[in-house]
Amino acid sequence: MGSLLEIVDLEKRFELHILNEKEIDALHDVSFDVKEGEILALTGKSGSGKSTLMKCIYRTYLTTSGRMIYRDGQGAVIDLASATEHEVLRIRRTEMTYCSQFLQVIPRVPAIDVVASGLVARGRSIEEARRATSVCFERLSLPAELWDAYPSVFSGGEQQRVNIARAMISRPRFLLVDEPTASLDITTKDAVIDMLLELKLAGTSIILISHDEHTLRRMSDRSLHLENGRLKEAVVYA
Amino acid sequence: MNNNWLLRVRNLTKIYGEATPGVLERTGPKFDTNICSRTGAVVAVNGISFDLYPGEVLGVVGESGSGKSTLVQMLYFDQEVTAGEVNFKPIEDGNVNLFELSNQKKRYVRNHLMGMVYQNPRDGLNFRFTSGGNIAEKLLMANVFNVGKIRIRGADLLTKTEVPIQRMDESPARFSGGMQQRVQIAKAIANNPPLLLLDEVTSGLDVSVQAKVLDLIRGLQQDLGVSMIVVSHDLGVIRMLTDRTMVLKHGQIVEQGLTDQILQDPQHGYTQLLVSSLL
Amino acid sequence: MIENLKFQHSFNYAYIDEFTKKEIRRKTLKAVCIPGYQVPYSSPEMPISRGWGTGGLHLTLSLVGPDDVLKVIDQGSDASVNACNLRLFIKEMSNCAVTFDTAEATLIQTRHRVPEEILTEKQILVLQVPQPEVLRGVERHEAKTRIMHGEADYAKIWVTLYEAYVRSGTLRNGAGHPIMVNGRYVATPSPIPSWDVPNLNKARCLYLFGAGREKRIHCIPPFTRVEPLEFEDIRFKVEEFVGVRCSTSGQDKAFMDQVYADDLSSSYVINDSNFLDKLRKGPRPPQKLFTNPE
Repeated sequence: MGSLLEIVDLEKRFELHILNEKEIDALHDVSFDVKEGEILALTGKSGSGKSTLMKCIYRTYLTTSGRMIYRDGQGAVIDLASATEHEVLRIRRTEMTYCSQFLQVIPRVPAIDVVASGLVARGRSIEEARRATSVCFERLSLPAELWDAYPSVFSGGEQQRVNIARAMISRPRFLLVDEPTASLDITTKDAVIDMLLELKLAGTSIILISHDEHTLRRMSDRSLHLENGRLKEAVVYA
Repeated sequence: MNNNWLLRVRNLTKIYGEATPGVLERTGPKFDTNICSRTGAVVAVNGISFDLYPGEVLGVVGESGSGKSTLVQMLYFDQEVTAGEVNFKPIEDGNVNLFELSNQKKRYVRNHLMGMVYQNPRDGLNFRFTSGGNIAEKLLMANVFNVGKIRIRGADLLTKTEVPIQRMDESPARFSGGMQQRVQIAKAIANNPPLLLLDEVTSGLDVSVQAKVLDLIRGLQQDLGVSMIVVSHDLGVIRMLTDRTMVLKHGQIVEQGLTDQILQDPQHGYTQLLVSSLL
Repeated sequence: MIENLKFQHSFNYAYIDEFTKKEIRRKTLKAVCIPGYQVPYSSPEMPISRGWGTGGLHLTLSLVGPDDVLKVIDQGSDASVNACNLRLFIKEMSNCAVTFDTAEATLIQTRHRVPEEILTEKQILVLQVPQPEVLRGVERHEAKTRIMHGEADYAKIWVTLYEAYVRSGTLRNGAGHPIMVNGRYVATPSPIPSWDVPNLNKARCLYLFGAGREKRIHCIPPFTRVEPLEFEDIRFKVEEFVGVRCSTSGQDKAFMDQVYADDLSSSYVINDSNFLDKLRKGPRPPQKLFTNPE
């Protein structure tokens, strides 16, 4: 299988101009690649740079130097580190989604529409999108009375399920998930893992951040360990 | 891909006072002023360029006096430009500079192809007309000379913007600030323009009313797929509405990028200050 | 002793000095060339106050000659004080003939009415105009109204018609319904009733509009297209006098005044005094009648 994403010498440094030009080195010499259809896990202690790396790939963070060569669905090659904003927006709209650790949603939108809007943006009708969302919510056992409520009032676990549903609903080609199973009970955890594995079977490549041994064991094909912003060893879970 | 833009802006510049050579080089964030040290001329907008794509929402953020309102007012022909070019796809497939059009043609662009919502409803609405009359004005500008159609469209727009239809034949002078803003939005979208300009639309409103107006704008954007330029000093508004953001200071772009990147990984010291002031 | 020549000489022919008359005629020609466009002019002092017909007087005096036959009407009547004074003044200053007969007159000065009888290419109708700027009600600033005319930006005047309809169910909003002249300029016909507006369209005579206080002349040349502003679905209509007959002549199909008696009973009388006289004496003079759309 070819690589979907090839990261070469990635560096990320934060320059804080308002704190006396303080600099924070976040990522160093990070090079690896993601094969099409694999689940690559990022492990490491809190603060080791896992989420920073993921946000760099999603372009929420700008990289300081290095390249991130991405091969899109049409076979075009794009360096995510230097692509124009419109190119990144197009990739985000059509094939790459990001599921952050904490749900960040536009206020005053019901849970079902938070998720359905991802499908509507890809050209599906709102009714169709809501139907697909309902199916997804059921599998994640999100109580039906919450579907029309605002996620900002949900518990951590409920928010997490909305978050995952939102990232998965459009069946992206490339999925970035940050701690998808934290704050979930074991049954829901397995439901989430099953759904992610189904996506993988359908061809989705996934980068996964998790601290949870169970999740890692069930899901990851390969894992990379980060320590102080540097890659350590790669572990292969068979 | 690179030719898909709806609006292309190049080197847009506005100088109040004498446009002497070197005035642009002597002002800007580097000098921490937009006033020329030699002539006293004020450089409100200094060489701004950007592309806006169909359906895209672009945020323009900056403090008072950064030139953000002047920028959209120039695009809406409310203010004369000192220099610069704007191309707009619906006009000659984008091959002509809007500022070189005749005044009559500019009015056509304004009335048929753009909508503007001002911070102060008095700038966008005529309080001597009813709210229905205000919407009618925009439709009449686009040559809809049929009262029945005007009434239906007016009621439709007011419903969409959640203004009670019973108040269609009342002057907006008697409305609350939030409702005036809704009438202004209804008027702005009356002709289904491909481009909507929003200048600090929620600034004068209570927080709860602000939220409703923002929800309305977001809903309309999703339903109509209209491109928008959203000017605000409020990063909360920018976060909620926009895909991409430009940060202005002293008339220049100090930073631009995806909105989530501007908010989470601001590069310029000024943006970092703005973001850190948010919470 | 200083000789004051000004008061030793009698007035110039037709009161206004020749240079100023020439100026007014030049501006009138310009107005004829650009139908509906308001041409600024000098508006010299007159022995009556501005706002009392000076604009009409300027036009009449700049045109009148000893061979002219003059008629002056005020609100349809030849006999009102204003009409009598102006007629006498113009006659004294120009030695022209005067008449009440609409058909006989070569030059007619009028206020707030167009005669019922059809005017011919041998006749000029001069209307006294209080406010020539049709956009003044929606835009206070002269500089802006000029730009609006320049760009044919008439949406605001259309909104006033829309609002009149919403308020009262009719487009009629007092006298002086706005007209589109020759498909280009929106103008005011001066405060004539809607009844008279269709008579401006493709008329054989020349219509001149003089606003002395506002110093503007505008014009509708003969055979010019004049359309009252109306919507596709809400059409312009003239006043209707349904089931009403003139109490003096017993006739109908003319613009009527409602006259109240001491006992508060009311009756109708045809407003155009010469037209009424002719109806009472003989055959009905030629008239152009407008049929309201359904």
